[in-house]
Amino acid sequence: MLVALITGLATGALYACAALVYNVMFSTSKVLSVTTGHISMLGGVFGAWFISALGWPVPVALIGSLVIGAAFGLLTDFIAIRRVLARSDEHLWLLSTLALATMVQQAAGLWWGTEPKPFPRIIPQDFSVGLADQKYWLPVVVAILMAVALEMFYRRTLYGKLFVAMSEDAFAARARGIPTERIRALSYVIAGAMGGLAGFAAGQLTFAYFALGLTLTLNGFIALAVGGLGSNLGALVGGAALGILSSVATFYVGGEYHQTISVGLLMLVLLLKPAGLFGAQTVRPV
Amino acid sequence: MTFVASNVTKTFGGLTALSKVSLELRPGEVHGLIGPNGSGKTTLLNLLSGYYRPDGGAITLEGLDISESSVQQRASLGVARTFQKPRLLPTLSVLDNAMLGGWRDAKAGFFASAFSLPSVRGDEAGLRHRAEELLHGVGLSRVIGRRANLLEHAEQRFLEIARGLAQRPRFLLLDEPAGGLTPAEIGHLGAILQVVRRTGIGVLLVEHHTDFVFRVSDRVTTLDVGSVIRQGTPEEVRNDPDVIRVYLGA
Amino acid sequence: MTPASRKIALALTVLALVTLPWWSGDLYKLHLAALIGAYWVLIGGLNLVVGYSGQLSIGHVGLLAIGAYCFTILAGPHGVHPALAIAAAGGLCGLCGLLLGLPSLRLPGFYFAMATLAFALIVTEITLAQGDLTGGGIGLAVPSLPAPFDTPQGSYWLILAIAALVTWLTWNIARYTWGRGLIAIRDSVVTAQAVGVPVFRAKLTVFVASGVTAGVAGALFAVLQSYITPDTFIFELGLFFFVCIIIGGRGHILGPLLGTVVLTALPELVAPLAKLGTFFYGLLLLVVVLLVPEGIGRVFEVIVEHFRPRKPESHVVSPDLDRLARAIASSPSDPR
Repeated sequence: MLVALITGLATGALYACAALVYNVMFSTSKVLSVTTGHISMLGGVFGAWFISALGWPVPVALIGSLVIGAAFGLLTDFIAIRRVLARSDEHLWLLSTLALATMVQQAAGLWWGTEPKPFPRIIPQDFSVGLADQKYWLPVVVAILMAVALEMFYRRTLYGKLFVAMSEDAFAARARGIPTERIRALSYVIAGAMGGLAGFAAGQLTFAYFALGLTLTLNGFIALAVGGLGSNLGALVGGAALGILSSVATFYVGGEYHQTISVGLLMLVLLLKPAGLFGAQTVRPV
Repeated sequence: MTFVASNVTKTFGGLTALSKVSLELRPGEVHGLIGPNGSGKTTLLNLLSGYYRPDGGAITLEGLDISESSVQQRASLGVARTFQKPRLLPTLSVLDNAMLGGWRDAKAGFFASAFSLPSVRGDEAGLRHRAEELLHGVGLSRVIGRRANLLEHAEQRFLEIARGLAQRPRFLLLDEPAGGLTPAEIGHLGAILQVVRRTGIGVLLVEHHTDFVFRVSDRVTTLDVGSVIRQGTPEEVRNDPDVIRVYLGA
Repeated sequence: MTPASRKIALALTVLALVTLPWWSGDLYKLHLAALIGAYWVLIGGLNLVVGYSGQLSIGHVGLLAIGAYCFTILAGPHGVHPALAIAAAGGLCGLCGLLLGLPSLRLPGFYFAMATLAFALIVTEITLAQGDLTGGGIGLAVPSLPAPFDTPQGSYWLILAIAALVTWLTWNIARYTWGRGLIAIRDSVVTAQAVGVPVFRAKLTVFVASGVTAGVAGALFAVLQSYITPDTFIFELGLFFFVCIIIGGRGHILGPLLGTVVLTALPELVAPLAKLGTFFYGLLLLVVVLLVPEGIGRVFEVIVEHFRPRKPESHVVSPDLDRLARAIASSPSDPR
């Protein structure tokens, strides 16, 4: 049972990271990108490849994963968002990010293979340490550090404040001379790096697996919806709740209803408090 | 048979957009609504059409309290409106856009439509004819078959009016319909409004072109920061010192 | 195209489709045609949801699976007559559409898409878990239809008939008031409300209808596969349905129909594409969204318009006031 709790917390931390990535991208573009989970998938897959196949030292591989994630984030902005936001049709970005996510997942499957492959050790550690294994606490540490770093970024740095300004009123921000296109690109780069880091840190938990993208997009979204869109604290709480609930329920009921349970949680929260636990109010349409 | 806002108040967070505003729309009358930006004109129009609910006061139609009625319910009671920025269906033709106003009349349900029953085909033909006549009437004869996203601004505005009329409304609420129109087009708009009011439809005309409002309205209400500062005939309002100070200028 | 030439084209197409078993060559191509037909039964209904009302359901493969398993379980171990089993599959999936649509159709676009994705994954989970009912990972053998539909030609004609019916029904919905109302929901909800469209009820109605067609498609699809496992209904198949509609063009019936034909046949005829599989669909979707978001159908429309002699465009508004007065007076508002 304790193992279930700890595993749930660790998986939940990964979901929380995905929710944080959603938040950062959403703040400057008002877009929820289907590629969110796939960034972490790439972080994990490339991290494993850098260390195992190319023999890079861990810190270099980590930077490599950050770069891959950042690059994919930027790619998402350029290909799937930039041209699409200019048009009035609201649905288009959903289609373009869905298309890009599909292509990336399939390409990863073709290149990396469709079997999950083990992720190498990052910190030298015996495999018999049980619950103190780094695969459990690495994702948790990374999630908390990310959330804290984001808060400090938003409050203490100029660029962070520009992000906040854009998220509250993009039109006014542009009118004030803020280069919204560049800020958005920067936010997608940051979000991408975050996703890459999360995938790298959680690699030993999830294994390097091409299909991780879609499930992480979905579960990261559930964590986001439960915690509340726009709230970083909500992302942490939502992720933890989802991970732990899922894991504990699996422990009692069996792993066959894993997805059903997590979606059940989502539906329950959305029915009771549609804006999520820490969510903000929605905008008026007319 | 009047459409009334009585003492309505509307707040957004800490901001009071409207404070105890009363306004009465009568059949066959054009009621102008003017005021500076931010005075609450569009808020009042949204309250009347059902996109907002009043925080205080009531909206009544023929004495029936419809303050909590949905936009669709008000449409079925005969309330039609246009929008400040024209909202059209860009991939459909002008005719299809106008025919959209006939939704409320489509008595046939989903199944009847799916099986193309004679009643459905008859309704469709009747609606098409009526929409065509309305489009000719407002002056869009040349563009009836054109895709709506190819229309120029004035055509878009007149199409919205045709769509509103296709709803067979009792009251037509217009949100700055003269915005972006040339003087000639504004003249056409005025003529159309005269026809509309003569058929017994009550019109609310929210506008910034004050000369135009005074010319076509039977009664005028002036708002400023959410309150009514003058209500009466165009002459009374035009010459009111408060209105001149706040809005019309020296 | 003039109405007369259109009728001729339609008649020729119907003739070609009915006689297909005799000119298509081998049984493999006949099977492919039948598969396209079964897909279209689902996609035709889904078209109203995705292409017209703009609800981006990417998880309809879950309903396909439920329909397939429902038919197989009823017509197999329970010995229900296949016609009844097909109807039951349609009915069950209509109900599932109602249960799925009720909570999720009120959600904003991305939330709704994720809900349908989750639905598809949950259906897979449950079919794997409920081994006693569904045969779990091993799957089930699908009973064949009674004569005369037990031959490849017979099942093809049955599917053709049902697909034609679905095409006719959805075309009717699309060309009358419902079609305009649904497109209004898709392109301008505020306008839809303003003219009185009951937005949620309309979305739910077409969603349930798409459930029924998905269920029937599932039964037909199961018959064609003759053996079904949870792996038959992977998420990528649901994505494929969705892509057929977007590429074919939202707001059209013919576009998605042609899209279904082309996207199903293409990997079969062009071998390297088969290996790329879903990557190819993703790439196509991206290209269409970025370059021709209204679908390939629109591309043809633009080309045709280019060659049509163009009258000088006039943008002068010139009211005919008498006509206007008569038009308004001819249909007064109700004295309610």
